[in-house]
Amino acid sequence: MTSSAASTTTPLRHAFESRVDEVKPMKSDINALILDYLTTEGYSSAAASLSKEANLRPTQEEESIKARQQIQHSIHSGSIQEAIEALNELEPQVLDTDPSLHFALLRLQLVELIRTCNATPGSDITPALTFATTELAPRAPTNPEFLEDLERTMALLVFPADNLEPQLAAILHPDLRRSVADRVNKAILTCQNQRRDAAIRNLVRLRAWAENTARENKIDLPARIGLGLDADENDDIQDNGLEPMIT
Amino acid sequence: MTNPYSSGSPGIPDSSMPTGASGLMPRRSSYASVVSGTASAISHQYQQPTRSGAFSHLLNQPPDFTYDPSFHNTTGHSRYDSRGYEMDSNTNGVAHGRSGSWGRAGQLPAHSSAFGSLANGYGYGGSGGGPTDYFFVPSYLKGSKYVQKLEEAHKAKALASRDGSSAQSSQTGSLSTSTSSINLHAKVPASHRGMTYDLIEKAPPAEDDAVAPLPSKWNSHDKHGGLEVLADGQEVKFTGSKSVADRDHEACSIRADHPMPPQCGIYYFEVTIISRKREESSIGIGFSGKNVVLTRLPGWEPDSWAYHGDDGNSFCCQSSGKSYGPRFTAGDIIGCGVNFRTGSAFFTKNGVHLGTAFREIKGKLFPSVGMKKQGEHIKVNFGQSPFVFDIDGMMANEKMQIQQRIEATSAAKLAPPLNETELIQSLVLQFLSHDGYIETARAFAEEIRSEKKALSMDPNAVVNGFDVREDEDAGHRQRIRTAILDGDIEKALEYTNTYYPNVLKDNEHVYFRLRVRRFIEMIRQGAEMQNPSTTNGSKKSNGRGGDWYDDGVNQEMELDDHQSQSNNWDKMDTEESPANQMEYQKLLQETINYGRDLQAEFADDPRREVSKALSDAFSLMAYQDPLNAKEVSHLLDPR
Repeated sequence: MTSSAASTTTPLRHAFESRVDEVKPMKSDINALILDYLTTEGYSSAAASLSKEANLRPTQEEESIKARQQIQHSIHSGSIQEAIEALNELEPQVLDTDPSLHFALLRLQLVELIRTCNATPGSDITPALTFATTELAPRAPTNPEFLEDLERTMALLVFPADNLEPQLAAILHPDLRRSVADRVNKAILTCQNQRRDAAIRNLVRLRAWAENTARENKIDLPARIGLGLDADENDDIQDNGLEPMIT
Repeated sequence: MTNPYSSGSPGIPDSSMPTGASGLMPRRSSYASVVSGTASAISHQYQQPTRSGAFSHLLNQPPDFTYDPSFHNTTGHSRYDSRGYEMDSNTNGVAHGRSGSWGRAGQLPAHSSAFGSLANGYGYGGSGGGPTDYFFVPSYLKGSKYVQKLEEAHKAKALASRDGSSAQSSQTGSLSTSTSSINLHAKVPASHRGMTYDLIEKAPPAEDDAVAPLPSKWNSHDKHGGLEVLADGQEVKFTGSKSVADRDHEACSIRADHPMPPQCGIYYFEVTIISRKREESSIGIGFSGKNVVLTRLPGWEPDSWAYHGDDGNSFCCQSSGKSYGPRFTAGDIIGCGVNFRTGSAFFTKNGVHLGTAFREIKGKLFPSVGMKKQGEHIKVNFGQSPFVFDIDGMMANEKMQIQQRIEATSAAKLAPPLNETELIQSLVLQFLSHDGYIETARAFAEEIRSEKKALSMDPNAVVNGFDVREDEDAGHRQRIRTAILDGDIEKALEYTNTYYPNVLKDNEHVYFRLRVRRFIEMIRQGAEMQNPSTTNGSKKSNGRGGDWYDDGVNQEMELDDHQSQSNNWDKMDTEESPANQMEYQKLLQETINYGRDLQAEFADDPRREVSKALSDAFSLMAYQDPLNAKEVSHLLDPR
């Protein structure tokens, strides 16, 4: 399909760009999208502030967002025990109905214990061992993946922390905290009958997928399609990041 | 320009929020929405066709719908849903009734030009006109973007018919014809048919740009002479002479009125074999290009593909077939589907998928059937009624696969070195600060910072948060906007010239509007001095964003890539100066002088809206008490 507008624009501009120009997102849509993101991912004060500034009705109670945020924060900072307690208070059934999530949290707790040991040379590894035997070992046989995760985690005790193979190093990387925190957040949202994923995440992936697929199929596209981020060193920032919107 | 009232109204953000009730609705309501959409298209709805839903389908998804691996559940629903069609067909009939009135209007010469101009505007060729061109949505395409476009095109056409034929097409009129229209659709008397096809013949060919229409019936002008089209284009019967039928390898074929639109993703139709005189049937069902001869069964010729009933073979552009499926005879329902994404085709028999028949299918292809024997008779379903095969489930499955592929796509390459989370955080933060949600941007940056700090293993590490620099522009624009809303146009002009010296030069009509507004404000000030009792009444809170003037300004500033902060300001009551006569006289004099300047500057302007705005504004001077003169008081209304 060729856009009829393409013929009227200067030949330098790609037809794709004129088609992009024809799309006028409504500001209210974008505002709702951002609020959805802030709410779902637990940025409680930003969400509250945006509903005020943009005059939007909050989609969830600030308290409820804050509760999720608090739990995520505990996990991010490695206080897993705290997070488990808060989670059990907020939505007691989450961990009961999702053994895999429960195991992931306990495993992370073990990782944090080992991390503490590693941080102070010559310290006692007994707490980590005790925790592994009492909390994790009984659960591990129920699922081969649990067992593998547990074994790999225990290997951290054996090898020196500063020279780990990538697989083991990944366990100590903060991304594990983030991913467990995300899983917990989604589990709570599911439990509260909310959508698990912020719509903007789908949009971002859709954006990536659409471009990949279009390029694979040799559809004529500009060589580079900017995202309009300020950081983009891109001449046409004006065109991308700040598109006129209909308010 | 969009209507400032409807776009700025608080109802729209609400509608895209996932509230409990609307969150459950999005997929099922196609038929209902066709009707409500068409009904309201008459008055005003069309200006904003489903725009507010750009993201709302994402936001309104029921929890987990797309990702839930147990999609069979969903499938179950849609099957159930399509069974409910019988009831829905009633509403469909209303849509039918409306286009029925178009059909009549189509015969009026005066109408055709009106329609033509609108058709160009919306790029819809409208090649399938006539009373039978009612609107239907095949169940498996419900909710798709393609159908949305079709609907818009259809509404545009319906709207054009409204405009074109004012007298005979009141809404009640078309509603009352709806029952008869349903009957027409079900069993059309023969006399009615001739007229229908004449209309089709005269319809202009679809433009390349147009939304490709769905096949809706057999094309009685694209058939072999031995075939007769019955039942409003839904049935085809072999009535040819014996001599034609006896020649071996010769057959009679027919094509549908439109090619299968690739925008569907998957296109699917079903053919019921109604009757057949002899044991061996020889019906071929498939699709072919426009130039394939109609004296051969589809599949035998290049650019045609089909599944033949006499041997169960599949024929791909050649006379020799490949063993494919079972034979089919009278009473069987054969489905034919083309997956345009993969370029493959499949057939179904009585609701059972027979596997992929062809690959690498290309071209503009029309559904086609061919038959060889006297008395052979088929009926097609292009989606007007429920299908026997669970095409909805297949579509849902296909969608789910793509959804999963999207899910699995990494966003890390979009803006390296940012990963998905960081990318989204930057996008959101940038949006917030550019759009002047400074408080939110600060709060968000702080929350990101604390998140990063928590995630950092080294408690002493310096965490680089995002900087929120107050977007100066945002502040400036906010000040200008506030000034306009306060009625302090002078200040707004001054700010605008200071911060954006080019805006007023480049957007002369904005400048003009501001100047006129200033004049009107002066008159109002004068009027309020004279008439303090009405002051409070006229200064009601200003909660809705913008009248003609400041909306224009905001629009322009945004077109200039400057978004204004919107919506929640409080109108400041400007302090009234004591209403003494001296001051009033002085103001009056200033007002008149200002008016003269304004007049001098724009008097020769040829544009109609300029002179209209000027004369409107000057007419205020004529009234002793313009605040209470209903002819002009709207100009003084702060809204």
